[in-house]
Formats: sequence, C-alpha cells, structure tokens
Amino acid sequence: SVAEIRAGFAAIKANIQSRDPIRTLSVLSHPRSLHKVKSSDRCCVAHHLLTFYVDKVFKHCKTEDSFVNRKISSIANSFLSVRRKLGQCREQNNCACGEESTEKFKQILANYEGLNVTSAAMKSLGELDILLDWMEKSR
Amino acid sequence: ADAFLAAPQNISILSTNMKHFLTWSPVVVQGATVRYSVEFQGEYEREYANESWIPISECSLTAATMCNLTEDISASVPYRLRVRAQLGATRSPWGTLTGFFNRVTTSLTPPLLKVVADGHHLLVELADMGPAFQFRVLYWKKGQESRVKQKVLREVSSMVHLDTMEEGAEYCVRAQAHVEAINRSSSFSPTQCVRAQGDTSLWL
Repeated sequence: SVAEIRAGFAAIKANIQSRDPIRTLSVLSHPRSLHKVKSSDRCCVAHHLLTFYVDKVFKHCKTEDSFVNRKISSIANSFLSVRRKLGQCREQNNCACGEESTEKFKQILANYEGLNVTSAAMKSLGELDILLDWMEKSR
Repeated sequence: ADAFLAAPQNISILSTNMKHFLTWSPVVVQGATVRYSVEFQGEYEREYANESWIPISECSLTAATMCNLTEDISASVPYRLRVRAQLGATRSPWGTLTGFFNRVTTSLTPPLLKVVADGHHLLVELADMGPAFQFRVLYWKKGQESRVKQKVLREVSSMVHLDTMEEGAEYCVRAQAHVEAINRSSSFSPTQCVRAQGDTSLWL
C-alpha cells in the first residue's frame, strides 16, 4: 500500500537524498508540478510513473548498504502491487492519457535522461515523496 | 577435501497476523555449530533485476533455525525464500522454500478484547496486533440483536468508549481484525456481555 511505501521510504530518505549532489534540478517537478495533472488523467499518469520507477529507476539504485537495498526492494515490490491495482482501471478503460499529461510524462523522461543514469535514478528515488503526495492527493 | 554439508530441509513459512517467519530443520554435524544464511527474492527481483536474491543481514550466519522476514516481506507479491548452512568455509547448497509466499495468505486470528462496564459506560480494550491492523467492533443491547451498532478503530489506544448504557441492561460486544493492505479480516472474537450498573437511587 502507499502508506507502506511511504514508511519504507522514510527509513532511507536521508541516505538516498545524500547521494544526490545536484540539488538544483528535479525529475518529477520540472518545469511543472504533478499537481497540475487533470483528474481524468491521473490514473494514466500514475500508471506511467509507477512503470517508470519499476523499469528505469530501482535497478540503478543498488547501494553498498544492505538495509537500504532491502528497503528499496520492499518499495519496488510494493510498486508492482500498487500498479497491479491501477491496471484494473486500465482494463475498465477509464485510464486514458490526455495530450497534456503525455507531454508532462515525456518531460519527466527527458529530465531523467538528461542526467547520468545513477544520478538520475538516485534523484528520482529521492523525490519519491513528491510522487506519493501526489498519488495520495489524487485518490 | 571439503566435507559436504547438506542443504537445510523442511523449509516452511509460519505467517500469522502479518508476521512472517521462515523455519527449517537443523543440519546436524557432531560437535560443531552450523550456521545459516537466508535470502529472499520478490517479484521485482525476479522480473526486473535478473532474478537477484537479497540477503537478510539479521539472518546471516545465524545459529538459529528461524528467521523473521516481516520487515522484508512488505508487499503483496509472491516471494521466494532460501536458506543455506555454513560450517567454517564450507557452505551447503541452497535449500529453497517450495513455491512462493505471498503475505495475503497470512492467517488472521480474532482480536483479544476486554469489555468493561464502568457505571453506565460501555468500554472496550483491544490488544495491539501491529500497525497494519484496524478493528471492527460490534455492540448491542442484549435482546435487541437486530439493532447492532458498529465502530471501526483504526488505531489501538487504551480503553475505548462504545456507548452509554441503560441502567441494569446487559450489553454485548464482539470484534474482528482487518488488514487493509491485504483487504482481509479475521473471524469474530467470542461475544462478551456486561451489565450496566443498576439503579442506585434509594427508594425512600
């Protein structure tokens, strides 16, 4: 559940954010925040973002710290089960992505690909609060 | 030559009330202390991280034949689990739990509750079952089983006030535990009934 993801992230947030030297850039919030996504698009954007983290972010976040790695595993596996629930919306066909949201998601990918992969992954993981806040507000 | 060390056998999961333990039979070597290491693999590791395994540091080179997985099994996806024995530099093959474990299969026991009549007040106290638990408490005046009231408690604090009782009447309570993360509930606890304080006014 999202609450469990938040608890897992809280346990490693400081550690992960300390590995992100570039404080002036954001993957999720630049140039516009997630909070501007239309409500009709939220399911689709959320599904895209969960897939983004599962496909691109977590695998580049391995650390030398066993505790951190275990928490990242918990978060990654929780993302799979949250995404599965969202998948049910997609099957019922009420998970369409509007043009504006597709643009928004492309911007996030561009932000991510603009950095080297490890920095981009750590920064994205460090911004998990932003995603979780937005997902909880969108429920 | 290195002595052969058998892989641990009888590997199983004990999962009750969202607490998950891996257990196995000891590998016996006369006069020696065999140690064990446990690893887990979630669906994410299988599908997206080259089927990698993650060690559980609290259960690395442990002499115990049980490992608490609760902190690591924190998603409702299928997990694989394995354990191996070690004696000095000799390691056994991995013993792997047959099949997968998903926490949605945890067994849920009814909550322990204490019902108290404090004068006219109907109070209930529930034993804490962990952060994942909520409680659904049903209460009614005896004889009025059709008019059951309900209270959902998201956190267990001390005594909870359920109702103000009619003098001398008997009230009954029962409760079940609910885990939102897996969307399942326990069976109900046995019903407990208490009687409200009788009429204290003195007939003069």
